[in-house]
Amino acid sequence: MPEIKKVLVANRGVPAVRVMLTCRDRKIPTTAVYSTPDRLAHHVFMADSAIHIGEAPPVESYLNGEKMIEAAIKSGCNAIHPGWGFLAENPDFAQMVIDAGLIWIGPPPKIIRLMGDKIQAKKIAQKANVPTIPGITDVRDTATVKKWMQEENVTFPIMIKAAAGGGGKGMVKVEREEQLELAFNQARSEAKKAFGDDTILVEKYIEKGRHIEVQVVGDQHGNIVHLFERECTIQRRNQKIIEEAPSPTLDDNLRQEICFTALRLMREINYTSAGTVEFIFDSNAKKYYFLEVNTRLQVEHGITELITGLDIVGIMLDIAMDKKLPFKQPDIHPNRWALEVRLNAEDPKTFSPSFGTITRLEIPHGPGVRISTGVYEGADIPPYYDSLFMLLMSAGADREDAIRVMDRALGRGLRVEGIKTLAPLLLSIIRHPLFIKGEFSTRFIEEHMNELISMFREKTSEDEALKVARYVAEISALGPQVWM
Amino acid sequence: MDVIMKKVQNSGFKVQDNMKRDYIFVRPGMSPREIVNALRNLGKVCFVSVGMRDAGQSDFKNRLRIYDLKTLAPYYNQMGLFSAECHGGARWHVGIMNRRESPFEEIRILREQMPDVLLQTLVRETNLWGYRPYPRNVIEYVVSQVDIDVWRCFSFLNDVRNMKTVAEVVMQRGRLFEPAISYTSAEWTTIDYYLNVVKEIVDLCGGTEEIILCIKDMAGVGDIKKIGELIDAIKQRYPDLIINYHRHITDGLAIPALLSAAKAGARLFDVQEDSLVRFYGHSPILSVQAVFEEAGIPVHLNRKVAEEAVYRVREWIGYYEWAESPFKGLDHTVTRHKMPGGAFPSSFEQAQKSEFLHLMPAILKVMSLYNRIVRYFDVTPGSQITWVTCSGIVNRYAKEKGEAGVRHIIELLTKFVEEKGQDFNAMEPEEQEELLQLFRNAPGDFKNLILGHYGKLPTGWPDEWVYRSAFGDEWQKKLQERKELSPLEHIEEDDLDRLRKELSDYLGRTPSEEEFILFLMHPKDALEFIEFREKYGDAPLVLPTNVWREGLKRPGDKVEFELRGKPYCIELVSIGGEYEGIIHVVMKVNNKTRVYKVETPRAKKKEIKMAKAFNEIGAPIAGNVWRIGNPKRGALKIGDIVHKGEEIANLEAMKMENAILAPFDAQIKEICVKLNDAVQEGQLLFVLEKI
Repeated sequence: MPEIKKVLVANRGVPAVRVMLTCRDRKIPTTAVYSTPDRLAHHVFMADSAIHIGEAPPVESYLNGEKMIEAAIKSGCNAIHPGWGFLAENPDFAQMVIDAGLIWIGPPPKIIRLMGDKIQAKKIAQKANVPTIPGITDVRDTATVKKWMQEENVTFPIMIKAAAGGGGKGMVKVEREEQLELAFNQARSEAKKAFGDDTILVEKYIEKGRHIEVQVVGDQHGNIVHLFERECTIQRRNQKIIEEAPSPTLDDNLRQEICFTALRLMREINYTSAGTVEFIFDSNAKKYYFLEVNTRLQVEHGITELITGLDIVGIMLDIAMDKKLPFKQPDIHPNRWALEVRLNAEDPKTFSPSFGTITRLEIPHGPGVRISTGVYEGADIPPYYDSLFMLLMSAGADREDAIRVMDRALGRGLRVEGIKTLAPLLLSIIRHPLFIKGEFSTRFIEEHMNELISMFREKTSEDEALKVARYVAEISALGPQVWM
Repeated sequence: MDVIMKKVQNSGFKVQDNMKRDYIFVRPGMSPREIVNALRNLGKVCFVSVGMRDAGQSDFKNRLRIYDLKTLAPYYNQMGLFSAECHGGARWHVGIMNRRESPFEEIRILREQMPDVLLQTLVRETNLWGYRPYPRNVIEYVVSQVDIDVWRCFSFLNDVRNMKTVAEVVMQRGRLFEPAISYTSAEWTTIDYYLNVVKEIVDLCGGTEEIILCIKDMAGVGDIKKIGELIDAIKQRYPDLIINYHRHITDGLAIPALLSAAKAGARLFDVQEDSLVRFYGHSPILSVQAVFEEAGIPVHLNRKVAEEAVYRVREWIGYYEWAESPFKGLDHTVTRHKMPGGAFPSSFEQAQKSEFLHLMPAILKVMSLYNRIVRYFDVTPGSQITWVTCSGIVNRYAKEKGEAGVRHIIELLTKFVEEKGQDFNAMEPEEQEELLQLFRNAPGDFKNLILGHYGKLPTGWPDEWVYRSAFGDEWQKKLQERKELSPLEHIEEDDLDRLRKELSDYLGRTPSEEEFILFLMHPKDALEFIEFREKYGDAPLVLPTNVWREGLKRPGDKVEFELRGKPYCIELVSIGGEYEGIIHVVMKVNNKTRVYKVETPRAKKKEIKMAKAFNEIGAPIAGNVWRIGNPKRGALKIGDIVHKGEEIANLEAMKMENAILAPFDAQIKEICVKLNDAVQEGQLLFVLEKI
């Protein structure tokens, strides 16, 4: 049985820190990698050793597989965990890791490759009797799209997706025919840039859809178990910002059905390690459609951990070491409700990125709160990477409890200065009556944006005191002013 | 008693109720009639304290901060004052412009700290707390929104018609209206003249039961004898009318004038803390009390508490030395130039700033001649008109002909006014020519004044030559446009909804009612004020005056305050040296160290042009310009034609692409960024020309 002696975490920020925490639990040393602007980043100091792997642009650093493997060997690692994003779903990289004699902590390269191709994945899903969204797969130009729409009687809006995509990138919704050309080119260009592959597919857009996904773990001995579902419907620009488990939309029958459908698909492809099957759920019609399989650890895995009590990164390590899953399906009893919000460094009104230095960071505490951070007070948020810098999770006996804890954590505990964050928007959302009732779709934010902004809370006394302090600083430095 | 006073001084100003009750005879919430009756039944004279408004306006350029003034509130609350004038006049404008305090905050603070005291404002009849006549609907709206108990209202023309709107709204609200007659000493200001003004006021207010009358001697020029005679005449005509005498002290004769007024039957007197008295404000409260008592006129005042207030002032008045007039000392010539207490320091301030302080004696002399040619009362806005007009004339002569020119114009005016009795035709032809140029460059407000835009002048319009001088060839046409009606009748109403939207658009949020009123009075300064407060919060309210003005000086210096019920402490750790226009200030805020980057005036401003006009294309987000042009036609250059909806650039931020589209068919006039530039949100990318 192979033993993991030291792990290179081929990532930065929140995912890198998350993986390192479990490694610490297991007393497994780690190596961090960093690009030049990340030299003083949080993950670098979480690890036992750290290696500089290149300049700021991801292709020169966090997307550079060769440098990763070199760094692993140089620092005495015998395993690589990719986190999420960057190289996590790159089958070539996974293969390179294995070829270099290292342990790849993730699903086998061929499964990544298979599921990474959205077109193939959809075919496999259909074969496994999993419902899929009507669409076309091999799209070269917009004329093909128009032809398909005509033949299949599909109307706008439609969705253009990068075949190799994920995480909302290379995904463009098209409302009207005039936008088609531009959107098509944008999706291809983003796909090329993000995934190095500009193959795209086009699908019917499910209005008022809800996003539900099932977490699955499978070992190399044929045991495969689902860890129930998560709902990730609250999104902005096709990127999730609030997730919860379980889903407030599903009743128990539907929950069982969707979870076992996911399991069936994963079993069909002999999936190992941790992975997720994503569905779009039409809550009016009570119908779900297969979206894709994420062959990696996901950002929102933490809420599944909170409701099941398991450590998914730990399970990935065990599976990579060829161990058997220590539980069977009937052993999994979720008994909590958990919520996660993503703290992105963004303007909460415009979503434009806000990079800079976190001059002050106060992290929420108290019962029911879990924090997954990629930064520390004083850290820089560089402009080159994803804007996610912290995950805030809450758990309670039921949904109401979990929301209450999140309200406290976001509203009274968290304090971030120096950059703008989504926190005001996230707080408005979890306080919105429709969110509390569980009545929302993936378009919730765009539909309610003005209302949500109007709910942004008043300034706290601490903010007000800092304004006074700013004044004192200026006058102390500059002396009496002419306007006085 | 002493023990109680110690307590007042040392601890939260909690005054024992029974002691306080002894002196309170009017309080907020009483109807005007109840207040007037309480005054009639008091059997003593009593005081209006102007310590919180006119004292500061006259001698400290309105810079006394509510932070300090509020320390007097607990004493006011038990002194037995009739009211505290704490609002209005120029305190309003200076508040938002210089002290960065809102008059609404001041009211809230004082209501809390002296709940039993009538709060009084000074309001101009059509100008309210601004400097232009407002339309009727603005006056109605603003007056109905401000929580003040006593509304002292004056017209600088004694045009009682102009008071109508304020009177109506105030009386309808059940608040006390205190109409004021503007008072000066001149050959035309006879007792009959004033009795007629009082009659108009009494008619306007439906009798003497629900008002008190103020005699506003704002320059302090009332002769001891004459003021007694006037009050006596008014009391004979209206025996029940309560009279409040407001008199500045500049001529040095205020206390005997007050005594004369009291003997004649005035019941209310404006006073201020002795320790606040300088040269342009009002009489010292303790001295007036003493002199009245000695003359056998009983005064309603808790003298011990009043003394405490006087002591209290000394704790902070030293912080305001910088704001005092450079011309210290009394000035009996005020009886000629008549510049009022409130306008004195600000005029000197302006003369000093604009470097014509040496011309002040000449300007004051010209003023004394001018106010015999154009007759009205030198109080806002009249005092500003007089000041700007006369200082303009003297400055023009000084510039063109030097000192001799200044002497010459004074001689010419003296001859015209004093020798020739203002007979234009009696002057030599070349002197006539010169007079006809006198007002050619006069300010617009002077021209508006003689065209009746403020109302009618107290003794009729000026002579014809004044119009010829002001308007040249157009004088006859202008004369025909002269208004005979009150501005209330002819100023067009403002569209309040539109104005509110304008403010709302500027702020990017819904303004509060209070912000809207500030904006109505002083649009530009209100915006600056709101911006300041958004940036610096409650700094103007919570910081002690030395810190407010000079900051913290030495490492270890600290300032402590409470904000929203929580204690805060700011301690200076160090102030760094200036480097490239930046000073780093290290402070501990509630024990947590913080570093502040402060830009000095020498800071290099990286100039980033923002898109403003419709043909300027700005960046929708902050990001990196990774493409200029589009894949189809490649890079764009200046002169290229682009079509509506065509992608002209693309920004990338955090791995998301954002296409910039041409908003219309256009030619590219300018490309303001280079490939791979990092741009800010709103930064100018392209200048297009529509085709």
